Amino acid sequence: MSFGEWGRRLARIFDRDRAASELDEEMRLHVELRARQLRERGLSPVEAGYAARRRFGNPLAAHDSSAGVWGWNIWERFIQDVRHALRSLSKSPGFAAVAVATLAAGLGMNTAVFSVVNAVMLRRLPYPEPGRLVSLWEEQLKPDRENFNSSGMQAGSAGSLLRTTVSVANIADYAGSGAFAGMASYDFRAANLTGIGSPERIAGEAVSAGFFEVLGAAPVLGRTFTAADDRPGAPLVVVLTHDFWMERLGGDPEVLGREVLLDGAPYRVIGVMPGLFRSPLQVAYAEDAAEFFVPAAYPKSQLAARGDHDVNVVARLRPGVTVAAAQAALESVSAGLQKQFPRTNANFHAVVAPLGDDLVHKVSGPLWILLAASGVIVLITCVNMANLMLVRAVRRQHESSVRMALGAGRWGLVRQYLTESLIIAGAGCAAGMAVGLALMKKLVAMAPPETPRLAEVAMDWRVFGVAAAVATVTGLVFGLVPAWQASRAQAAEALKTAARGTGTKYQARWRAVLTTAEISLSLVLLVGAGLLLRSFMAAMGVDLGFRTERVLAMKINLPELRYKTGDARFAFFRELEARVKPLPGVEAVAFANRMPMRGGWSTGVSVDPAPDQDLDAAAQAISTGYFETLEIPLLRGRFFTAQDGADAPPVAIVNREFARRYMQDRDPVGGRLRRGTNWCRIVGEVNDIRRRGKLDTINPQVYFSAAQTAQYPVQLSDLAVRTAGDPRRLVHAIQQQVWALDRDQPVTNVRTMQEIVGELVAENRFEMVLLVTFAGVAVLLATTGIFGVLSYLVSQRTSELGIRVALGASPWRILWLVLRQAGGWIGTGLALGAAGALALTYYLEALLFQVKRTDPWTYAGAALLLTAVSLAAALIPARRGAKVDPMTALRYE
Amino acid sequence: MRGERDEIPPGTLEMLILTTLASGPARHGFEIAESILSVSEDVLQVEEGSLYPALQRMLLKGWIRGDWGKTEENRRARFYRLTTEGRRQLEREVERYRRVARAIARVLATA
Repeated sequence: MSFGEWGRRLARIFDRDRAASELDEEMRLHVELRARQLRERGLSPVEAGYAARRRFGNPLAAHDSSAGVWGWNIWERFIQDVRHALRSLSKSPGFAAVAVATLAAGLGMNTAVFSVVNAVMLRRLPYPEPGRLVSLWEEQLKPDRENFNSSGMQAGSAGSLLRTTVSVANIADYAGSGAFAGMASYDFRAANLTGIGSPERIAGEAVSAGFFEVLGAAPVLGRTFTAADDRPGAPLVVVLTHDFWMERLGGDPEVLGREVLLDGAPYRVIGVMPGLFRSPLQVAYAEDAAEFFVPAAYPKSQLAARGDHDVNVVARLRPGVTVAAAQAALESVSAGLQKQFPRTNANFHAVVAPLGDDLVHKVSGPLWILLAASGVIVLITCVNMANLMLVRAVRRQHESSVRMALGAGRWGLVRQYLTESLIIAGAGCAAGMAVGLALMKKLVAMAPPETPRLAEVAMDWRVFGVAAAVATVTGLVFGLVPAWQASRAQAAEALKTAARGTGTKYQARWRAVLTTAEISLSLVLLVGAGLLLRSFMAAMGVDLGFRTERVLAMKINLPELRYKTGDARFAFFRELEARVKPLPGVEAVAFANRMPMRGGWSTGVSVDPAPDQDLDAAAQAISTGYFETLEIPLLRGRFFTAQDGADAPPVAIVNREFARRYMQDRDPVGGRLRRGTNWCRIVGEVNDIRRRGKLDTINPQVYFSAAQTAQYPVQLSDLAVRTAGDPRRLVHAIQQQVWALDRDQPVTNVRTMQEIVGELVAENRFEMVLLVTFAGVAVLLATTGIFGVLSYLVSQRTSELGIRVALGASPWRILWLVLRQAGGWIGTGLALGAAGALALTYYLEALLFQVKRTDPWTYAGAALLLTAVSLAAALIPARRGAKVDPMTALRYE
Repeated sequence: MRGERDEIPPGTLEMLILTTLASGPARHGFEIAESILSVSEDVLQVEEGSLYPALQRMLLKGWIRGDWGKTEENRRARFYRLTTEGRRQLEREVERYRRVARAIARVLATA
């Protein structure tokens, strides 16, 4: 059929009335002309009219056959089906409402979760030919260490591969492997911005010269970096983001050549990136939006240090080179480097992965689990709908039989049921979209802020397409089962067995299967939700080991240009401490390179019996008031004092875990500890803390004296105060003291420790809340399913139950009779569900904290809850059955 | 009254309509039927009930066009004309018909 013909056919459908009347007119003319011809041949007018009409035949038939030509029959039948379906649905508004609400809940959840998955993981990266972009990192085979995995989650197990960033010195070798068209490195670089408004610390990135070319991004103004810019000692230049240009410089058209003060140094603006440009870091970390790019300009020392792994690498594959081929090329380069530089590269090799996958690798696991869970909800929705439809179909069996007896074809009946299902599916889909849109906004607001690409979450064509496809498939699935059932009806049979049978054996079996499936699917979700809930509660119950209530922390990042030495920075902080301490409401003040849960430093140290063994330890440089402020108790020895100054002998304090793991649990006080070439005297032992928050393991920890910070490669930058009242109220006063010391010094990352604790578990809470919600909806659906089916069965068995009562059955016996049926479904469902949960929670394991995935309490609790709720749902119809009055029941018959 | 009349063999009605429209002016349905009857020397009588569905089918296929106009007696009527596509279709059908007719003639000749 040609294109033009389709168009004409379509036009006919929309123009049907005119086409029909034109055809009538044409045929009327024909008959009249024929009659006149016959009259002219001598017939009487009356005779001529009859003869002409006789000869033309039945004009209605001709009309119909023309309509058939136009393809109206299918259309007309469809309209008729829809009308019929609407009429029959409007006769049972309760059923229609429950069905649409069920679908709206199921589809809405699925749509919302999918919209997040779509934005975060499926949408293409905003670069040309994103398929050729790869992320590159290094992996270190960690030699076996003693039980690293003692408590808690995601601790790297012994002998594991440790992912690290890339050594700058190795990049040239990797780039030379022949697999890449270009390779560039990048890293975070924050700077104090002064000279534009009040001083502020802003985020930026230090990138190598080829960065923008590799990504395929061009500036809207000026140029990006060349190799000449990316050298130590080259004139300082900066490329701005569109936001920086617009919001800080008011979109100044003369921006090129202007100077911007970063950490007190003048950077000349050479380019501005387009508003839609996102660097890989900006894609991966939605919250910390970089505002500027400066050349990395790695110093000679860094370019030679193959042991320092500190930059991210992005590369563009040569056309036609696959990721696997690039990986193979890198393996041979890595092997060469291992031989050439055994001291630094011995256990390292380079790894590539598609950039898009890598940027979201931290969140993709949980998101797939949530999507799978929402898929289970859709499945339960389908099952529930099929069950509802089945019950309805049985109730209408009489109607079907009558229609069949009157000559309706099987196909006609099937079509009728399918049309009804699809109408419900369509309405459910529309309602589901609305629910999904609302839920999506809720999800985005609730999601952990570090989720990549969260801002891009929206209802796009793909989300719509998937939702519509799911709705259609759902409609077909739950519509086909009863349709098929209906078409099996034998007209004569069904008419004989009274109007209210409980359906055929097939239908009974189907109902049992569907109800059981609902219960088992619900149990799977309940167990998953229960495991996450228990994990979350375990995490919330974890003792951090330090105080978080009424403690305020902030970052004061002193620029190196102004504060050149560690001693100068220490002098600033000591002065600040002296000014903040007397402020009203301040109970204690501390400063350090980092406060707990705000990043940190770790270093290799050695202790006395084995001075050559390198031991991993978290390390902080802390002020004398640190332990007091955070209320970390001293176990042995002493805290730092003012006497542990820059010129005094170097001192250190270790935690309990350090002494236990590295010093054979001896008293560490008085022992020696080496860091680099520096030997420190251990003066105290303090209690353990979970530095990185509630989900952290307890790790060996060393504290150094802040006054001696010049000896360590860290900078003091965090200040914390413990307050008597609301810590937030002191923010302004402390800021004023900082600016009294240095009016160009920004104060950033001001948070109470309580807030940080909350943020750190946000991701777990997000997953937990979602899965608990899903499980709740699943239980609700399953319960309505059981309730609906049992209610129906009881109402169908009214006469049977009446006879039983009349013959002397006690109400308890009747109750038992009905509940037994539900009990069978529930028992089978629980058994299947437990098996399914055992298999599927495997994928949940990475999200669990201090809870085993086979945790019997969770399984028992979920089963108990589901049993209780479903039995309660069964009880209502069962009681109704037990209360049947035999007289009424029999008369009913 | 007249000589023997035959129904039009199945499948050839469209070809006859196309042929009729191929020569001469645009015609309405009655004229087409009458023209086929008279050109066939009163042998081929178009069954009128099937004429109009056939015309509708051909309209949809794009072989003919129908435009409303006035008859000599000033009656509204739809006048049909051949399109380029219709002309091509006519050639195809005539070609096919000739082939089949020749084949049938050969089969008959052997009888």
